[in-house]
Amino acid sequence: MSTTLTPSPESTHDDAVRGAWRVVAEREITTRVREKSYIYSALFMVVGVIATVVLTSILGGRPTDYMVGVTDQASAGVVSAASDVVDRTDDGSTATAKEFGSTAAAEKAVRDGDVDAALIAADGGGYEVVGKESVDSTLSSALTSVASTSALQVNAEKQGIDLDALQSGAAVSERLLDPESSDSGPRELAALVFLILFYITAITFGMSIAQSVVQEKESRVVEILAAAVPIRAMLWGKIAGNTVLALAQILLLALAGVGSLALTGETSLLSALGPAVAMYVVFFVLGFVALAGLWAVAGSMASRTEDLQSTTMPGQVLLFAPYIIAFTAGAGVKTVVSMLPVMSAMLMPSRMAEGGVPVWQIGVAVAVNVIGAILIVRLAARLYERTLMRTERKIGFGEALRLSE
Amino acid sequence: MLDISSLSRSYDGKLVVDDVTFRVEPGRMTGFVGANGAGKTTTMRMILGVLAATSGEVLWNGAPITTGQRRRFGYMPEERGLYPRMKVRDQLVFLARLHGADRAASTRRATELLEYFDLGDRADDVLDTLSLGNQQRVQIAASLIHRPDALVLDEPFSGLDPVAVDAMASLLAKEAGDKPLLFSSHQLDLVERLCDDLVILSHGKVVAAGPVEELRGQGPDRYRVTLDGADAAWIRDLRGIEVRDIDGATALVDLDGVSASELLSAVVAREPVREFAAVRQPLSAIFREVVR
Repeated sequence: MSTTLTPSPESTHDDAVRGAWRVVAEREITTRVREKSYIYSALFMVVGVIATVVLTSILGGRPTDYMVGVTDQASAGVVSAASDVVDRTDDGSTATAKEFGSTAAAEKAVRDGDVDAALIAADGGGYEVVGKESVDSTLSSALTSVASTSALQVNAEKQGIDLDALQSGAAVSERLLDPESSDSGPRELAALVFLILFYITAITFGMSIAQSVVQEKESRVVEILAAAVPIRAMLWGKIAGNTVLALAQILLLALAGVGSLALTGETSLLSALGPAVAMYVVFFVLGFVALAGLWAVAGSMASRTEDLQSTTMPGQVLLFAPYIIAFTAGAGVKTVVSMLPVMSAMLMPSRMAEGGVPVWQIGVAVAVNVIGAILIVRLAARLYERTLMRTERKIGFGEALRLSE
Repeated sequence: MLDISSLSRSYDGKLVVDDVTFRVEPGRMTGFVGANGAGKTTTMRMILGVLAATSGEVLWNGAPITTGQRRRFGYMPEERGLYPRMKVRDQLVFLARLHGADRAASTRRATELLEYFDLGDRADDVLDTLSLGNQQRVQIAASLIHRPDALVLDEPFSGLDPVAVDAMASLLAKEAGDKPLLFSSHQLDLVERLCDDLVILSHGKVVAAGPVEELRGQGPDRYRVTLDGADAAWIRDLRGIEVRDIDGATALVDLDGVSASELLSAVVAREPVREFAAVRQPLSAIFREVVR
């Protein structure tokens, strides 16, 4: 015990204290990323996002390149004509002819799975579609319709019949009123995934703020901290640190989603969802910051970790309400709520993912969120200062509002 | 110099600290004693500003203290508290950085303090794996980490073994140097040994304050007389004294109008004296007297 203690380093203390929130934020982040549970839950969510995209892609059907075995030029012509029909039925799909020397060779290729089906000219005229156990219905109907139309055309010419006159009035065409929502299935799924991810991430990091506060109260370290730095610096630090963490997780999830969409070739869905994903991140930050103050207050009103269940209730309700509204409320209610602070953070991006949101509504939602975030954080800072040093028991919201400084 | 001036604090209309005034001189250890619930902790929390005073003020070098100045104080709260699941050095570095030191300086300082307490090899251990005594040392290190201008320590020695008490006392003497140091304790023998000044609090009021020697001097001059004979009962007949106790050949007397040499000659005139000694009042006696 003969260590010489070095002389005091010169530091301008007041300046330094202003930077204290950064030190607090840094501690929040480093403490959290060292936790295994944090790493695992983030990984789990990334895997969940990727799995959702892949699953959607499989269920939604991917473009297929059908390979059809043929033995003569006429059949090859039918297949190439059928390719257009296949493309019309199933966006991006094609049919290609592969020529074989004999019917037996073509059948062998079908049996071996080298081709999806074979189109063989039948002895008595007409064609035969040969499959292994079954023939894909899209391919089969395309081949059938092309073959029968061309046969009809040939026969009509032979008989001197005007085919167009014969077919007049028989055509049935389709007109889509809302072609945008052709992929509404995946869009709705994406909106749902947004909602759930926002909810989980907001709850995770919101609770993390509340816990971080109450743990400091429980361990009494708060007394030393309060003597060292302004109480607000602790609040800002916690909000900043956890917002950074939550944003990092959201960006990671968005990246996983966009990346897996690109890899599975869902480019049309990707271009439709892209702007929504970007807004989702923007709204998430606004909503999270607004709510972060409330989470910190929930922590400062509790005296033990168990108290959090009741003190975090308002925050949980604010987060859960849009979840219910998203599923149950009518379009009008949804439109209004999607412009309210905090709740908009959850509803607006999901509405945007579904498509058709006027720009002014998005603007209003952003503005209201910014104002809401500022007001809520300011109120939270006051409540936080009043309740943080009261370690003896739990305090209710009403009491916190009435407390004097 | 730290002045506590007419500080009062009431909870729900009940006055727990009542017009407390005392001075903590730089370079002198000031002990803060009082029974449980006397208001020591409340007073210390008000000095640090973590609790608002109902009335009164704290002066630093004669002027009302600023928040910035308070943050330059070292504080050890009554209820110990650090992050239980954080590594020992990490939390000291964290606290130093909160006070504005850069990371390198903070790490050097934390390492230095831990080594002083022989905890260098535990620096990377999580706090709650340390024994309570060692956690206590870390707590003290936390209060010293930013080289404070003044120290306010609530029961810094409780829970320490005698060797640790000595180590801590010498560290405090070194670190406090010419700075004001106020510490509370209920171990009166310790306070007696370490303190230069003393403030005794009872039911929220200061009942005695000043240099320890002076406080002792306030009591009566007490002497123990042991005779060569068998019975000292006859001493009761002497004038100008008050006999506190007679036990065989030994009498305990307070001077009340005569000087020590007058007493001695009066006794020697009648019987040979084996021992004649001034009795220094232990602090506990003063304490009991003033808080009665």
